[in-house]
Amino acid sequence: MRQHSQPFGLTAIALVLMLCWAQAAFAEDKLRIYTVNYPLAYFAERIAGDLAEVSFPAPVDLDPAFWTPDAETIAAYQGADLILLNGADYAKWTAKASLPRSRTVDTSRAFRHAYIRTSDAVSHSHGPGGEHSHGGVAFTTWMDLDQAAQQAEAIAQAVTRRQPDAEAQIEGNLQSLQRELRQLDARITAITRTDPSRPLLASHPVYQYLARRYGLNLRSVMWEPEEVPSESQWSELEGMLKTHPAKWMIWEGEPAEKTVERLRALGVETAVFRPCANRPSTGDFLAVMTENARSLQRVFGQESTGP
Amino acid sequence: MIDSLYVAWRYLSFNWGRSLTLIACVTLIALLPLSLEQLLDESERQLLARAESTPLVVGAKGSSLDLVMNSLYFGDTVPELLSMAAVDRVADTDLALPIPLYVRFKARGFPIVGTNLDYFDFRGLTIAEGRNLALLGECVLGAGVAEALQLGPGDTLLSSPETLFDLAGVYPLKMRVAGVLAPTHGADDVAVFVDLKTTWVIQGLVHGHQDLTAVTDPTLVMARSDGSVTATAKLAQYTEITPENLDSFHFHGSPADYPITAIIALPHDDKAAALLRGRYVGTDAADGLQQVVVPGSVIEGLLATIFRIKNVLDAVILVVGMATVLALILVFALSLRLRQGELQTIFKLGCGRATIARLLGAEILIILAASAVLTALLLVGVAQVDAALVRALFIR
Amino acid sequence: MIDIRGLQFAYPGSGFRLDIPSFRMQVGEKLAVIGPSGSGKTTLLNLVSGILTPGRGAVRVADTDIASLSDAGRRAFRIRQIGFVFQDFELLDYLDVLDNILHPYRITGALRLERTVRDRARQLAEGLGVGDKLRRHPGQLSQGEKQRVAICRALLPSPRLLLADEATGNLDPRNKGRILDLLFDSVDAHGATLLAVTHDHELLPRFDRVVDFAEFQADIRPDAQPGAAA
Repeated sequence: MRQHSQPFGLTAIALVLMLCWAQAAFAEDKLRIYTVNYPLAYFAERIAGDLAEVSFPAPVDLDPAFWTPDAETIAAYQGADLILLNGADYAKWTAKASLPRSRTVDTSRAFRHAYIRTSDAVSHSHGPGGEHSHGGVAFTTWMDLDQAAQQAEAIAQAVTRRQPDAEAQIEGNLQSLQRELRQLDARITAITRTDPSRPLLASHPVYQYLARRYGLNLRSVMWEPEEVPSESQWSELEGMLKTHPAKWMIWEGEPAEKTVERLRALGVETAVFRPCANRPSTGDFLAVMTENARSLQRVFGQESTGP
Repeated sequence: MIDSLYVAWRYLSFNWGRSLTLIACVTLIALLPLSLEQLLDESERQLLARAESTPLVVGAKGSSLDLVMNSLYFGDTVPELLSMAAVDRVADTDLALPIPLYVRFKARGFPIVGTNLDYFDFRGLTIAEGRNLALLGECVLGAGVAEALQLGPGDTLLSSPETLFDLAGVYPLKMRVAGVLAPTHGADDVAVFVDLKTTWVIQGLVHGHQDLTAVTDPTLVMARSDGSVTATAKLAQYTEITPENLDSFHFHGSPADYPITAIIALPHDDKAAALLRGRYVGTDAADGLQQVVVPGSVIEGLLATIFRIKNVLDAVILVVGMATVLALILVFALSLRLRQGELQTIFKLGCGRATIARLLGAEILIILAASAVLTALLLVGVAQVDAALVRALFIR
Repeated sequence: MIDIRGLQFAYPGSGFRLDIPSFRMQVGEKLAVIGPSGSGKTTLLNLVSGILTPGRGAVRVADTDIASLSDAGRRAFRIRQIGFVFQDFELLDYLDVLDNILHPYRITGALRLERTVRDRARQLAEGLGVGDKLRRHPGQLSQGEKQRVAICRALLPSPRLLLADEATGNLDPRNKGRILDLLFDSVDAHGATLLAVTHDHELLPRFDRVVDFAEFQADIRPDAQPGAAA
């Protein structure tokens, strides 16, 4: 028995080593792409496939919009062949770091005129400049799946510029991704079209583009899923319910039990619609969005009929 | 011949005053045109090479020489300012990669060059110590700056106030040295590189302070209304950006309005270059305020002027040189007359005319050789400083 | 040593003429030539040494017909066979004593400067009392010391004939005698012949023979006594 397994074991080790070496060597030819959030990373992976190595180094438990990488990570971004930015002032750190413009792509530049300005930022003034606002712009652009498709397009163009020989392959990947995005977009539209004026609540102001695209009558508070809201926050909600009698509140993540119960007491059910800015623990972007669609189905009183 | 050289050497070293004077005269006459030539070669090298490697520069309408001097060699004269909107304009044409520059401020006498990482790739600058720029408030030093100020990664460098009494405007920023560049023997050696956004911090357009909505000290707040908070002058504006206060830094106003001094445009090909140049020949409002220049042409014009001056100088040196040579011949002839007795003596002893000629020839040879060596040494000396001389003389 | 017959010489363009029907010197003889200024004493020395060539007549020195030699030949002969001692010493102020003594070896191809020559120069200097001053320059020497150095220079090539032109003319009375003694001793030691032009009458008795240029018509021969010709 031993006599047979020894040479077999050695061969296996050799094979593994060769594979690693091959992968390393092959990896050197790949485009190195860095992104500032998970959706862009997903799109890049789908579009570039084996042409690129996509990195999104933010820690999983942080909101990438407010993450600040250390100098070493910034250096890794600087060394990338392509840096994909979301645009709309997403990732505040990019405004204070040095990135090479020639290798940076603002994926939402094509629809920058359509950014939603948020009015809840407090402006301040001092000195000779006069009054200024902090330029609040909503940044969860991918929640509008049509915009997401446009962002994917921008990524495809950038990758094609760097790998012109693979244009056909990239185009094919893009079409496939956009098809799935459009399907989902159509599905959500169908769901929400049934009752466009239905009042809804959101736990956090991250659904502006979703609301606009799918015609949701949505009002937000500023609650966190893990935190139990304070009494003043509850009063604020109750006040809101008087003029905006919502029966459903959508959350970025599973809210605390106590919150759910108290909401139910007020006649408000909870549903989770994950923005998916960071890597999900299971599944990928489309899987999460599909699950989000099913949540919306329940919100709009429709039984889930499809996958 | 050895004997003649020996005797000549003895003569010259005994009359060392006269010999040194002769050597000095010959050296000077040889050195002047040669060092002038060397200086011109160096200026051509420094100025022209750099200009030719820069395809196009976009700037505000005005002196093209000032624009080129400021953006390529970081000269002191600041041209009319552009705004970042001009950068977007170049980017949107898809004809060239724009590299913005803001060269206005100084740190301990050295120009601060605000730009982005693409500049380093364009100029082929590599990091010798430390790392490249990463965060707001960092700087990367040219090799010459690091040498002169004895700074390295981890040290700090203070920017200089623009004017002494500009209390409400530009104030010093303490920058952290992230790295030092490898030497390039050009203008990049004597510059302090920062991210463009950092120069805006120096100017006061971007700053950080305590969050005014959370402030509790009443003396810091002048007025508060539903949508705005007005601070008093007591509110401290940070003069150093640290990881702790980095988040508080923010931009006031629209980034498209922020100022720059020039844009280096790297066209994708010649056709793109021609197309881009064509876009700036126009008279409508936006076009009329900007210009695109080809640095090579501007510098060639400058060098042509310098050449003309050099020709005049050469003519003057020639005349002076001839006069000096005549004077030297006179000195030699006179000293021969003084040495008649010696010549008679050796003639009587049995020395032939040929040998006498050889002896005198050896003296001239030693003088010329010594002058040649001295000239060569001085030229080496000039070579050490010619880069700095060219900068001091031509780059304003 | 010297044999002159029927010598006639005139400087071109001047009225001066030298006419020497006969003049002879034996080897090892010490001859003094006296006479008024302008009588041609120095010219004689120049003719003997080959610096000047006669218009007519023969000049034989050490069995060599000087006049028939080429210019280069005369120079070579002069530097090898004839030593000069001048009234003004005629040392080169920019060379030190040793280099002055060695100088003839550096100004002609006819003499080769070798180690042995340097050693001999040092010995000569020692013998004449200037051995400890080899590194000094003429400006740092006394008159007597300068003349000694000149004598060293004259003797270094081991010449067969020494020509002294007013050798003691610039020396003080005490040094005159001493230098002359040194000169005589050196000439004897080297087996050379001395032909000296001089104005110092008190030194004449030391010479073997005295020739008065004023009485030049007479037949000058070795057996004539000083002052005998009238």
